[in-house]
Amino acid sequence: MTNARILVVDDEPQIRRVMRTTLVSRGYMVSTARNGEEALEKVREERFDLVLLDINMPGIGGMEACRIIRAQGDIPIVILSIGNAEKEKVEALDAGADDYVTKPFSMPELLARIRAALRRSPLMSPGTPDLLNLGKTVINFVARRVTVDGTEVRLTPKEFDLLRFLASNPDVVIPHAKLLQAVWGPDYGEEVEYLRVFINQLRKKIEPDPSHPEYLLTEPWVGYRFSFPKKG
Amino acid sequence: MKSLLSQPVKVVRILGALGIIGGITFFYYRILSVNNVTVALSFLLAVLAIATRWGLIEGLVASIASVLCLDFFFIPPIGSITIADPQDWLALSVFVVTAVIVSHLSANVRKQAQESTHRQHEMERLYTLSRNLLLLEVHGHMGQEITNLIAQVFELPGLAFYDRTSDRVHRAGPQDIPLEGSKLRDTALQGTVFHDAATQTTAIPISLGGQPMGSLGIQGSEVSETALHAIANLTAITLERAHAQDVATRAEAARQSEELKSTMLDALAHEFKTPLTPIKAAVTSMLSDSDMNPTRQELLRIVDEETDRLNSMLTGAIQMSRIEAGQLQLHRSPQSLRKIVQTQLARLGESLEDRKVSLEVPEELPRVSVDPEFIGIVIWQLLSNALRYTPPGSPLTVRASAGETEVIVSIEDCGPGISEQEQRKVFDKFFRGKDQRERIPGTGMGLTIAREIVRAHHGRIWVESEPGKGARFSFSVPRAPRES
Repeated sequence: MTNARILVVDDEPQIRRVMRTTLVSRGYMVSTARNGEEALEKVREERFDLVLLDINMPGIGGMEACRIIRAQGDIPIVILSIGNAEKEKVEALDAGADDYVTKPFSMPELLARIRAALRRSPLMSPGTPDLLNLGKTVINFVARRVTVDGTEVRLTPKEFDLLRFLASNPDVVIPHAKLLQAVWGPDYGEEVEYLRVFINQLRKKIEPDPSHPEYLLTEPWVGYRFSFPKKG
Repeated sequence: MKSLLSQPVKVVRILGALGIIGGITFFYYRILSVNNVTVALSFLLAVLAIATRWGLIEGLVASIASVLCLDFFFIPPIGSITIADPQDWLALSVFVVTAVIVSHLSANVRKQAQESTHRQHEMERLYTLSRNLLLLEVHGHMGQEITNLIAQVFELPGLAFYDRTSDRVHRAGPQDIPLEGSKLRDTALQGTVFHDAATQTTAIPISLGGQPMGSLGIQGSEVSETALHAIANLTAITLERAHAQDVATRAEAARQSEELKSTMLDALAHEFKTPLTPIKAAVTSMLSDSDMNPTRQELLRIVDEETDRLNSMLTGAIQMSRIEAGQLQLHRSPQSLRKIVQTQLARLGESLEDRKVSLEVPEELPRVSVDPEFIGIVIWQLLSNALRYTPPGSPLTVRASAGETEVIVSIEDCGPGISEQEQRKVFDKFFRGKDQRERIPGTGMGLTIAREIVRAHHGRIWVESEPGKGARFSFSVPRAPRES
């Protein structure tokens, strides 16, 4: 996506500087914020296509800012943090982030991840139905809308893409790596914890009983499977 | 207390008892004339009172005096120690027996009452002592304070306490008791009570859980043996408490200093990573520009590589500081070692390009119970170590095999090997091989980190090598419980 608007949130001026220079040279439009509060203000005032968010900042911090931005909309969020522990990554994904990049990062890698976050998977693959009626849950793949009991449930773009990919291949076990590559992009494959977090979030949103899923089933050690409801 | 009662007091009391009997005799003989039964009962009452108040000897003296007075002054023929009527013989005999029994019984009661008072008193003192000992401010050398306290609470004329930890004898009280330091030391070590009848001294050992801690020496028999043992036990507990607190304080101080060091190192490493981030971002951004002249590209590549090196040193420092601060929190679950190894090989990526890496990790290898992130670090450390210390292009082998309870992973190289002397030190912090120090970059922390992670998994890590024939680093991790 050219001309995409990116908000860079970091308390380190040099990081904001290098990000601005590089991203602008790649054709993105860049705004910066020095902390979580300023980021929230900017997100309210302007429309962005992506937020690059530091975790460790004075004030409300990146994790909380991520939660608030996610609660307000489905704008993709990529976390940039020094912390390398899985616990921190999972926490960030749980807070609504779409991706997590460890500092210091190489610019080509970050650019690839930005492209992946901006990318919407192709509108329709041939096998996908327009509408999937699971009973209480109805998924409209054309309008990218999900309703449960007639109430609309908001899915983030990544959540929606993940659900669509699984639903397009019903009753087939899809390995972790394949799912990651299909939804996030070709540079992904090891980030199994991403799937764990996103599947959990999807289950909370569309499963009648998230702790005993009917549609989104885990195949231990292998991947996930979308179980098509039996007719009748 | 009774046996120590001084002789003059006893004599005065006996005279007093005789005086009372004499008084009663005088009263009934001269002032008030009553029948013999009344006189006898009055005597009996006096004997009872004397025995209860003063004791058995006084009671018996009073009994004999009463019999004599009764016979002489009241039983016919009056004025002689003879008895005419056989009935009077019987009456007098009954009186004698009754008087003796009464004095005996009442004296017994008195003795028991005295003893129980004494015991109660001792209990009170023991309680006071235990409370005061508990309130003592604990520090390393409290022997003299304990000694003073015991002597003061039990009002002892003299007390000696031998403290085995400091090997010193503390003394308290106005008198110096005749017990040598060596005698007290022997008592402590042998664990038996020593009693010297001649000097009336007793030494009892102080021990806790069979461990001799010292001994106590006292003179006289003021304190019962039971109380003495209780004092010894209280002293033992106080000493143990002081010792435990001392150890705990020292351990806490050491832990705090270690924690502070780690926290500072951790914070420092984070601080250093902050400027590294824009450097790395800028240099990689420039490197991705394809039409750059080769010299500039080479120079930028050097900046990039050195940034990576600085970063991995900082990562090592952070890991090390966490491990040392005891903050290594493992999230263990059944894992496939093959997968962990493959992930790490992929991470090393380009640096493995010119190497032939044989992966001899069977697919059907049982799962291991590990934290994949940390065991990944171990494998990465061993692999990157092998890459660094062996000539470019030489092959590597990663092998894994399962035992009864564990899985062993080995990483073999065909490098110069490690001398026997250095093999013992390679896992030590900051140790770097003599020949490599100058030539090969490194921090000397990698293998220490690997060892600590493996240890946290209850595994072992070791190296086998013959100089000139390569080295094999191996570690073991526990197998996961069988899946049902």
